[in-house]
Amino acid sequence: MLLHQIFTATYTVTEQVYKGFISTFADNNPLHTDAAFAKQYGMPQVVMHGNILNGFLSHFIGEELPQKNVIIHSQTINYYLPVFLNDTVTLQAEVAEIHQAVHAILFKFMFRNQAGKRVAKGMVQIGLL
Amino acid sequence: MTQQEIKDQVQAIFIDITDNPTIVLQDATTSDDIEEWDSLTHIQLVVAIEKHFNVSFTAEEIGGYANVGEMCVGIEQKLM
Repeated sequence: MLLHQIFTATYTVTEQVYKGFISTFADNNPLHTDAAFAKQYGMPQVVMHGNILNGFLSHFIGEELPQKNVIIHSQTINYYLPVFLNDTVTLQAEVAEIHQAVHAILFKFMFRNQAGKRVAKGMVQIGLL
Repeated sequence: MTQQEIKDQVQAIFIDITDNPTIVLQDATTSDDIEEWDSLTHIQLVVAIEKHFNVSFTAEEIGGYANVGEMCVGIEQKLM
């Protein structure tokens, strides 16, 4: 991987992803499961769990990079807009730093929804084993 | 930046990364002396030091430093 190299991957928050997240982690907060509750707080429908995006990020790191010998060292994410069921988000990740001495790479990443709006951004540092 | 200033800042980085406020680095300190200094912490320490001082090391440099004191000298040389 080269400095400033950019990778992209596209994901959809399908019913399977949404229900799988809830069944796995049991986060049944009404914002995520009760449309009437979500509407009380100005949302048009239930909001997808923010950490679903981290699941997509995990897939990107583990499956989409050219090397498979990777491990996540750290990550941060900031959320800007809600993501809803069946939204398609595009992850763009740029190699922002390469720490050759310890085989570590820092990506700056951003998720945009199908309307092109930024829904989240952050940084993830990985190591090459 | 003086060698002492470098050591003080490196110590602050060690305390932050290891989450151990009792760490007092000496020139002779090695990973054997700090319980939290394992392989993954080592990577985080090097990355944090590179970012903080805006320097970069090679694997050979990192592997060649026998202790914290030698690393701090290495940082000082890169800042010259």
